[in-house]
Amino acid sequence: MNKETHEILNEFHWLMAALQNIDVGLVILNTNFEIELWNGFMQNHSARMPDEVLGKSVFELFPELPESWFRRKADTVFVLKNSAFTTWEQRPYLFRFNNYRPITSMADFMYQNSTIIPLTNVRGEVEHICLIVYDVTEVAVNRLQLQEVNTQLQQLSRTDGLTGLLNRASWEAELVHEYQRYQRHQHLCSMLMFDIDHFKRVNDNYGHPTGDEVIRQTAACLKENIREIDIAGRYGGEEFAVILPDTHAEGALVVAERLRKKIDTLSVHYDGLYVEYSISLGIAELNPTMNEPTAWIECADKALYQAKHNGRNNSVIYTEK
Amino acid sequence: MSTILNLDEDHRDCLQEITNVAMGQAGDRLARLLDTFVILSIPHIEVMASSDIAMALQSIDDTSSVSGVCQGFIGGGISGEAMLLFNDTSFADLATLMKYDDELDAQAECELLMDTTNVLFGACLKGIADQINMEFSYGPPMVLGQHMKLTDLFRSHSNTWDHALVTEINYQLEGYNVNCDMLIVMTDASMEILLKKIDYLIN
Repeated sequence: MNKETHEILNEFHWLMAALQNIDVGLVILNTNFEIELWNGFMQNHSARMPDEVLGKSVFELFPELPESWFRRKADTVFVLKNSAFTTWEQRPYLFRFNNYRPITSMADFMYQNSTIIPLTNVRGEVEHICLIVYDVTEVAVNRLQLQEVNTQLQQLSRTDGLTGLLNRASWEAELVHEYQRYQRHQHLCSMLMFDIDHFKRVNDNYGHPTGDEVIRQTAACLKENIREIDIAGRYGGEEFAVILPDTHAEGALVVAERLRKKIDTLSVHYDGLYVEYSISLGIAELNPTMNEPTAWIECADKALYQAKHNGRNNSVIYTEK
Repeated sequence: MSTILNLDEDHRDCLQEITNVAMGQAGDRLARLLDTFVILSIPHIEVMASSDIAMALQSIDDTSSVSGVCQGFIGGGISGEAMLLFNDTSFADLATLMKYDDELDAQAECELLMDTTNVLFGACLKGIADQINMEFSYGPPMVLGQHMKLTDLFRSHSNTWDHALVTEINYQLEGYNVNCDMLIVMTDASMEILLKKIDYLIN
């Protein structure tokens, strides 16, 4: 062997060592998607040695890799001689590699990004593609956790802690939204407002924790008796408000009466004591004379006031006098 | 001193010519990949302030809803970023074009945008790179925003540069309702080498 050949071989040797040991996955595929190179990273994570995979179709060996999806990506590489990319957001992984660190691992499997690059032969044609697989588990898990926390925070900032209903601010935002929708489409829509009769007495006679329990159970009863599309909020201390889309006043009255009767038979048990109570309800159907959202609330409030005036534990539909 | 602001006519014309040729090649490659005729507008090259880009876009109505994707490139002292703006009405056609059979949920839309960007931009930049005898490496495409007003899409990003060389190219695909605008943005940092390469071609 002459000196020059020896040097080339030597260079080739350390180049291969670098490819073998680099901490990303390297896979070279031919036009039939048969594996022609499988570096150390891939060997270690897949527990398959080169003699098990070389010359075999990547789709047969790894059924988790969707063939049509991957071919579509690879096609652009072959035809355009252009890199293609996959991200964990599109597809969490190409090869399912299980978590290997029992203590610090954050996910069950390795999230992967990948780049597919064209490899040209001496004539400038692409006969092979190189798939580079990156382990992005930490980035992915952190991002997912952040998203989850943000969703939770958003949820927390929208709801009332005691009842789980919308808090006043977010209920009012929904109200404005519904009002704007009405202006555009003039669909039917009603509002139901109610409060607990003589709530102050409950607090005074049984204590605030019992009062809280009464509010909580009222909210629970409310949730059970409205539809998914209805928008319920805790408007004030013992005051509740519900928007009932696509519902006329009479329909809302049915809901109101059902709720009123349920509450009337309800007995809240707390701290060894039983509390029985009632609610009064006001209903207002949205109409074109209400020129802003607050006017709608005022009407429902007036009806509620009328219900109180009528002796409580009843429902009243707002009418213009 | 800003090289961009002092870009002379000869250099600009040459850049225009290079891009024209590149687009011709890109059109050919894309036609083979996508089995459809690709209509590419004549590239429009201009030096723009970052605040003017949204307004200067010629092919997209600034009140309609668009999705934007960016992809960076770098190599041999030249770098930049492309931004592709897709008209939101074109998703179904885009999916047919890219041979997507999966259901188009938000995630699939995102992937579709990224793949299309990679294909359209890659095809174009390859032609430019070949002519100035360079090779670029590409970053992964990043979705900037989906279904937004053009002005909001641009507003959400603050820029660290004043003026940039912007190439605008409009893509239309025969038989598909796909309208896409591509901007290639390069800053002063790339000008020295780019102009050297162009000088070499001119002389």
